[in-house]
Amino acid sequence: MSSRRSQMRQAGVSRITEDQIVDLVSKLQQLIPEIRNRRSDKVSASKVLQETCNYIKNLHREVDDLSDRLSQLLESIDSDSAQAAIVRSLLM
Amino acid sequence: MKARTGYSTSLKQEFLKKWIKGIRIYSNFKKDMNILERKKAIKLSADLAIASTRNASTRWSRTLTANISKNETNKIFVEQIFSDSEVIKKEAPSRLMARSNRIASKKIWRRSHITQIKARKMGPYAVKARSIAKKLVKNRTKVLKSLVPGGENMDGISLIKETLDYIVSLRVQVDVMRRLASAAENSTRSL
Repeated sequence: MSSRRSQMRQAGVSRITEDQIVDLVSKLQQLIPEIRNRRSDKVSASKVLQETCNYIKNLHREVDDLSDRLSQLLESIDSDSAQAAIVRSLLM
Repeated sequence: MKARTGYSTSLKQEFLKKWIKGIRIYSNFKKDMNILERKKAIKLSADLAIASTRNASTRWSRTLTANISKNETNKIFVEQIFSDSEVIKKEAPSRLMARSNRIASKKIWRRSHITQIKARKMGPYAVKARSIAKKLVKNRTKVLKSLVPGGENMDGISLIKETLDYIVSLRVQVDVMRRLASAAENSTRSL
């Protein structure tokens, strides 16, 4: 018994309450568009995790697509146009 | 770690400024980039910029910056960007590993005894259902850890907190990049 308790003290584990976890999971749920509007007691933890992972993957993909788009835009800008000068001065 | 639930205009502006500064520095480095290098310049600068808005206060931002700096060619570029602002903190190897092993062994002991007690109360079917649910959570947590930079060494609560901050930051990044892309597309169209 006592060895386990001293183990806990060694590891510096603070009492993480169930409420804290529930609070954080519901905050996460608020951020995910897919499950934002469902009642928090109807969405399971594994569902929140799954949708979170999907959401992050989508955001990563968007960043990649937007980087593609922007690099193409910079390529295709006609070098003489006024627009090119503006964009160039902004980015280069 | 200060919690950000929404995002403000000033955060978007900070990201935009840092992002553009990064692209400029990169372009000075490599004149005449082809389209792939240009994409890399844009994406790398965007990632460094969004990470730097956290001022090394979150694990994901420190890990992201450190990972980018690991590459030799990027290192010089990163150093130039941070030369006049914050120092690149080397992400220390996690001391949490030993601690999490101790916590894990404690959990294993507890789990083996709790299932016995619960089986007596709940009946074997409910116990099985619950263990399947737990396995699902465990597997999905593993995936999440692989998606959040530095997630592998985080425990449950830190992982959720870092994920919250990471998602908010990603949204800022996407939002600003999207607007710049539309603005650039519109400006080239309007002539």
